[in-house]
Amino acid sequence: MEAVVAQALVNGLLIGGIYALVSIGVTLIFGVVKIVNFAQGEFVMLGMYISYWLATHIGLDPVASLVVSMPVLFVTGVLLQRVLIRRVLGLGDMPQIFLTFALSLLLINVALLLFTADYRTVQTSYSDSAIRIGPVYIGVARLIAFVVAMLLTGALDVFLRVTDLGKAMRAASQSPEVAMLMGINPDHVFSVAVGLSLALAGAAGSLIMPFYSVNPSVGQVFVLMAFVVVVLGTLGNVRGAFIASLMMGIAESLGIQFIGADSGLIVVFAVLLLTLAVKPSGLFGGRTR
Amino acid sequence: MNLRPGYLSALGFLALVLGLVILPQIVPDPFAVDIFIRVLLFAFIGVAWNLLGGYAKQLSLGHAAYFGLGAYTSTILLIRYEISPWIGLLAGGLVAMLASLPIGALCFRLRGPYFTISTIATAQVLMLLFLKFRDFAWGAEGTTIPNLGDSPWMMQFDDKASYYYVVLALLGVGLAVTFWVERSWIGYYLVALGEDSDAAEAVGVNVARIKRDIYMISAFLTGLAGTFYIQYIYFIDPNTAFNFNISVEAALVSIVGGVGTMWGPVVGAVLLEPASALVQSWLGASHGGVQLTLYAVILMAVILWRPDGLLGFFTDIYERIFRASPRGATAPSAIPGMALDE
Repeated sequence: MEAVVAQALVNGLLIGGIYALVSIGVTLIFGVVKIVNFAQGEFVMLGMYISYWLATHIGLDPVASLVVSMPVLFVTGVLLQRVLIRRVLGLGDMPQIFLTFALSLLLINVALLLFTADYRTVQTSYSDSAIRIGPVYIGVARLIAFVVAMLLTGALDVFLRVTDLGKAMRAASQSPEVAMLMGINPDHVFSVAVGLSLALAGAAGSLIMPFYSVNPSVGQVFVLMAFVVVVLGTLGNVRGAFIASLMMGIAESLGIQFIGADSGLIVVFAVLLLTLAVKPSGLFGGRTR
Repeated sequence: MNLRPGYLSALGFLALVLGLVILPQIVPDPFAVDIFIRVLLFAFIGVAWNLLGGYAKQLSLGHAAYFGLGAYTSTILLIRYEISPWIGLLAGGLVAMLASLPIGALCFRLRGPYFTISTIATAQVLMLLFLKFRDFAWGAEGTTIPNLGDSPWMMQFDDKASYYYVVLALLGVGLAVTFWVERSWIGYYLVALGEDSDAAEAVGVNVARIKRDIYMISAFLTGLAGTFYIQYIYFIDPNTAFNFNISVEAALVSIVGGVGTMWGPVVGAVLLEPASALVQSWLGASHGGVQLTLYAVILMAVILWRPDGLLGFFTDIYERIFRASPRGATAPSAIPGMALDE
């Protein structure tokens, strides 16, 4: 029994690292640009397809293909900000919500037309290997994904705190007007924020490719999880999103273990609704919004 | 003869109603009538969504919850207790309305995009619950509605035209409710709350109560649509009843037509539904992504180019063509002072 619980905890923690990459991306865009990106999951999907094609065509390892997927998605993010998001800033909820929502629909369905609904997997040398620690098995692919996800999260945290651009980003998120008066170019800062956020989503996609199958609607799982995480971890709070991601990974994993394979999402949504009922400002928020 | 705008629009409205009533008689082709039914159904769902999303500016993407609850209520009453879907229609609406109370109590704690996300979650949870509890309502397999032949008392008809008239009546109810809401005190409160909910609260509008009330009305109407749809297609399962696309199309027709306007969702449905039906029949069901790709492109184009919806665009064109010269000619007699400006 303890072994089952321990196994579920470990699995949940490891996948929670991936949820953290996606959720931190969502919270970064929300914090800086004040937009909720409904299409974030679809950029995970793009990252996965990039790694899939690189693996099947030139035999590149999915984890190594980070070096392609992250820059490609960074550029995509800059374009997304410059071409689409910029046009709806300050226009109210309806255009802001439904622009990225439409983008999500578009990406899913174009992927469906181009790549069909088939589930595709990449088999690597380490896909099926596991390390045994006591009664618990740790999948090597999941462990690599978790470690790299932690490194990227840490790097982002340092970037936001130490570099001038990171500080400018935090300043723009706290008060865009004052930041502008201080000579910060909001266009530039917003583009980098969206670019970084999408690069994280792309990284998440590449990292899970060795143990997860890709299909056009795979992003939905991640974006729903990210939304729950971002509400639970207090909106716009990067560290809150990180801790909440690990918690939700564990909650989902325990749900799958003890209620049934199809119950992961029920647990996740139940946590969301419970959070709203008890503390709608999230775990790390002060007063109620 | 001097026709005032009031008479003109009343005449136009009568002509529209007459045209809609005789439409399935002029075009009896079942494929065409099926498209008309879809247009009217999604116009009706859009009208229901628009009360909450357009007037109160609470952008729900979870209206499938109420659609599904309405659908399951009437189906369970019909199959388990042999109660007519006409009664099931009202019962479904009431169940949806009651469900909106706890759901609203939770979701209205969040604002803007996070309200939207929490509504997605509620509809998904309901779908998962209906999938999970097989003994309660047939689980994932779903069930067919027993075909009783041509029995109007059980909301089953041999000809499609009868279904057309049922959904036309539903749309009429939805528009009448919108008309009433626009002109009642609720309408003014809604405008205030939609503009700035904090300011509305400060001048004494009970924001929480107004949101709750309009959500109840919106959910009730959406529940009616659910019952009708399941009676029309003779089949129910959680994926049909709580389908995310229902939530999407409810918002889509309203946004494309124009949110917060009485006729916006109708215009949106008239533009979108035939287009999607035609695309589907040309390309067949094998091209799964075509319909939603089309919707996504239209939605983006409308948001970037005309965020107030296409109803406003058509009104502008109409004014430019028909109003420009005649208005100038009649204006002096109506408002003498204006003549100097012309």
